[in-house]
Amino acid sequence: MIEICDLVKEYRAGGGKAVRAVDGVSFHVADGEMVGLLGGNGAGKTTTMRIVATLLAPTSGVARVAGHDVRTDPIGVRRSLGYVSATTGVPDRLSPREVLDSSGRLHGIDRRVLADRIADLSASLDLGGFIDRPCGRLSSGQRQRVSLARALVHDPPALVLDEPTSTLDVVGARDLFAMLQSLRAAGRTILVSTHRLHEIEHRCDRFVVIDAGRIVASGSRAELVAGRTGGLEEAFFATIGGGAA
Amino acid sequence: MTSPHPTGGWPARLAIASRDLLEFIRDRRALFITLVMPMAMYPLLALSSTLGIRTAILELDRRQESRQLHFVFSGAEAEALAIRIGALANRSDGSPEGWPETVTVRVVDPTSAQSLIDEGAADAWIDVPGDSLATLDGAGTLPLDVRLSTSRPPDRRVKESVLAVMRGLADEARLTRLRRAGLPASLIEPLRVDFTGDLPQGSAAAVRDILPAVTAAVLVLLALLTATGAFYPAIDAIAGEKERGTIETLLIAPCPMFDVVVGKFLAVFAVTLATLAANAISIVLTSTVLGRFLPGGMAASLRAGDLAACGLLTLISFVGLAAVAAALCLTVTAAAKSAKEAQNTLTPVVMLIAALAGAALLPGAEGRRWLPAVPFAGHVAVAKSMLSTFGGLDTDGRPQAAVAQPAMNIPLALATSILSSLAITWLLLSVTATIVANEEILFRGPEEATRGLRRPPRRGVPTIWQGCGTVALGFAALWYAQGLAPRAFVPALIVQQAVAVLLPLLAVAWWQRVDARETFALRWPGTPWPRTAAAVVGAALLGGGLFVVGAAAALATWRGEVSAEAKQFAGQLVSLVRGGTIVPAVLLLAVMPAVCEELFFRGWVLSACAGRRPAPRRAALAVVAQAAAFAAFHLLPERMPQTFMMGLVLGMMTLATGSLLPAIVAHAVHNATPVLLVATATAADLESSAQAAACLPPWSVAAALGCLAVGTALIVVSRQGRHTETDGT
Repeated sequence: MIEICDLVKEYRAGGGKAVRAVDGVSFHVADGEMVGLLGGNGAGKTTTMRIVATLLAPTSGVARVAGHDVRTDPIGVRRSLGYVSATTGVPDRLSPREVLDSSGRLHGIDRRVLADRIADLSASLDLGGFIDRPCGRLSSGQRQRVSLARALVHDPPALVLDEPTSTLDVVGARDLFAMLQSLRAAGRTILVSTHRLHEIEHRCDRFVVIDAGRIVASGSRAELVAGRTGGLEEAFFATIGGGAA
Repeated sequence: MTSPHPTGGWPARLAIASRDLLEFIRDRRALFITLVMPMAMYPLLALSSTLGIRTAILELDRRQESRQLHFVFSGAEAEALAIRIGALANRSDGSPEGWPETVTVRVVDPTSAQSLIDEGAADAWIDVPGDSLATLDGAGTLPLDVRLSTSRPPDRRVKESVLAVMRGLADEARLTRLRRAGLPASLIEPLRVDFTGDLPQGSAAAVRDILPAVTAAVLVLLALLTATGAFYPAIDAIAGEKERGTIETLLIAPCPMFDVVVGKFLAVFAVTLATLAANAISIVLTSTVLGRFLPGGMAASLRAGDLAACGLLTLISFVGLAAVAAALCLTVTAAAKSAKEAQNTLTPVVMLIAALAGAALLPGAEGRRWLPAVPFAGHVAVAKSMLSTFGGLDTDGRPQAAVAQPAMNIPLALATSILSSLAITWLLLSVTATIVANEEILFRGPEEATRGLRRPPRRGVPTIWQGCGTVALGFAALWYAQGLAPRAFVPALIVQQAVAVLLPLLAVAWWQRVDARETFALRWPGTPWPRTAAAVVGAALLGGGLFVVGAAAALATWRGEVSAEAKQFAGQLVSLVRGGTIVPAVLLLAVMPAVCEELFFRGWVLSACAGRRPAPRRAALAVVAQAAAFAAFHLLPERMPQTFMMGLVLGMMTLATGSLLPAIVAHAVHNATPVLLVATATAADLESSAQAAACLPPWSVAAALGCLAVGTALIVVSRQGRHTETDGT
């Protein structure tokens, strides 16, 4: 569903010097799979996610979602995925219903179909208690649920979530991953990035560890922790060369 | 399982627009400032200006009122002259033209007359000399000394009344003389003008005088306030979304970036239109109320129905303005990372809109065909023309179309304005889409916002933008220098050179950290020294020759018909040179401007435009550009052709020699030539040349052309071998 091959992204730093944020990254996420993209701050996770979501153009390499190339068919990519950013990105002065309605109309969904879709999402993501309240008055967890609902409003086959738990407390993070697992169970493909390893250690099918723009390890939890006494966290630090926490 | 629904196009644009509008409407503070403030502002402005308008109307009224003149006569024939004036006043065919409604004459002795005039009991005192009537009726000229009262506030009307009475007396005397000579009265009246109809009187006339100016000022204010209606929604539309972190989720909408931007534009445009409507309604209501507080003529003229028509006409002509303002605000805020940054970027927009809207009121602007196509200026001009043609009011409440010829073809102008607005809006939205899609702008760090203000790294010569910026700064400084400079000629010259030329140049050069030697060409024109000498002598000959040839051309072109400013400048120059010693005059008028202006134009501007080692085409363009700036800097139209030519020659000379020294020498000699000519001329020479505005003698022009030829040859000689040396080093 999501294919990334030899992806490179260069930025221009001060003085015109080129900096490689992503340096030859290649991995894929199969249909119905949930993959965790792990890495510290500045590792290249967000840049990779933004390329997949068509917010950034790759310097070189290929990124495809549901067969649509991010370079040649960005509209097709956007119709095939739902994107959730770390900041939730919901307007304070609109209610969740208005956010979903606006997003659905942007995706060209018929009004009656959209109303049913909003009702379904409200029920499945438990938005009912606050669906007509301004988003500015919602808690971080509620806002992230609205953000997830918006990403799902056009019923995309793939979901890309960039550090979705960074503003959530433990309970909120647990609830969000529970929802993601139920979405994966329903057949959706999910790529999620985070640097809070304990949250996703037992929830993803596979992990891709990225450091300084390069993939340093990948595989299932069992493959990554094989031969080590600790869990995913120890394996992560070992692969990026940062030592045990 | 890709979403099967069609996306993009107008449904997506309207979805974004309605989302943004909903957000804006829920921001009560922005809503209040954008829509409610205008409703409160116009009444407040009207209240504060009512007194001024009322005073102006009453003053105009007063000028229309009948005038009275109180004379006091003394002298031997005072009584006889008073009788003559009385007879004129009571003439059967009416008083002479301009005659005051009431003229009273008191005949007293000189002491009493002096007292009356000192106390202000009389307007004017004439001590009538003996044989006055004999002189009037004879063939001589009667000299009359009229003393006006100085105890009252100065009133030009008293002098006008006295002159009208005296004109009447003189006309009567002329007729008497003609009759005596047996000549017809028509001898001195080759033309008589009779008017049919009448001009409005009193407050009605005052309103007609004031209304166009008030309307024009209100239209400029309306243009500015309409544009400010776009500020808040434009800031919120892109910069606000970035600040709140909501932009990313919008940018992954399945539609082209242009659709996203058009959606945003529609929301901003809707708010701007609402602001325009709120302003127009407020203006109409305020004008209706204002009319009740003003003198009767005004109140009668400003009828509610006509005012509503005016409001509607303004709305129609300003729709394009609202669109351009909305698109412009969106464009300039698109690159901002936060609302605060966006606000800063909008400040120059206010200045731009005010300048363009105000330009529509310049004399003669309304007649220009292309004016309706110019944003803001065109909108104001079309609105003004529409109001004066269809919505303008005369005292009877008739549309002014019946009495006035439109300054422009209204349907064509309106169509041009709307089409131009559409094109400009589309262009701006395309630019906005490009800016928003630019990921380096979209995801840049906060420090990038002030990149343009960071002190740049050291470089050899300034960039072309730094050159243009300094010229703009110089013009701004020149504007203020005109206002700040003292009236005295010498301090004014020093302030002008220091403030408008040297100060901006030093400030920018210091900030930009350029290589001063390379930028200002601070090197000798050639080595060994004979080449430098040849260049300097050649430059001096060129400078002197240029002045004489330029002066000859100017005299032939203008033939003495020069502006008052040019005459004043020439007079001040002559006074300075003739009133002091020659050396300070040469230093002040020749050396100082030569050094300052050459550093500025042939140093900074030329090197910025030409760059290092320019190709011939770029060098030519650079020389023309700096010469044009140099000519414009001298303000006086009469001097511009001459200064432009001089700028061309000095620019080429600087590039040819690689040194600023020849240009400074040529400029100094050019300016010193008239100083030396004035200093050595006799008073008779000056008098005759001032009166005749004579052409220069042919031999002087021939000599000047010779100087130009020899000077050019010397410059060419000094240049030989230069490239070889430069390449060798």
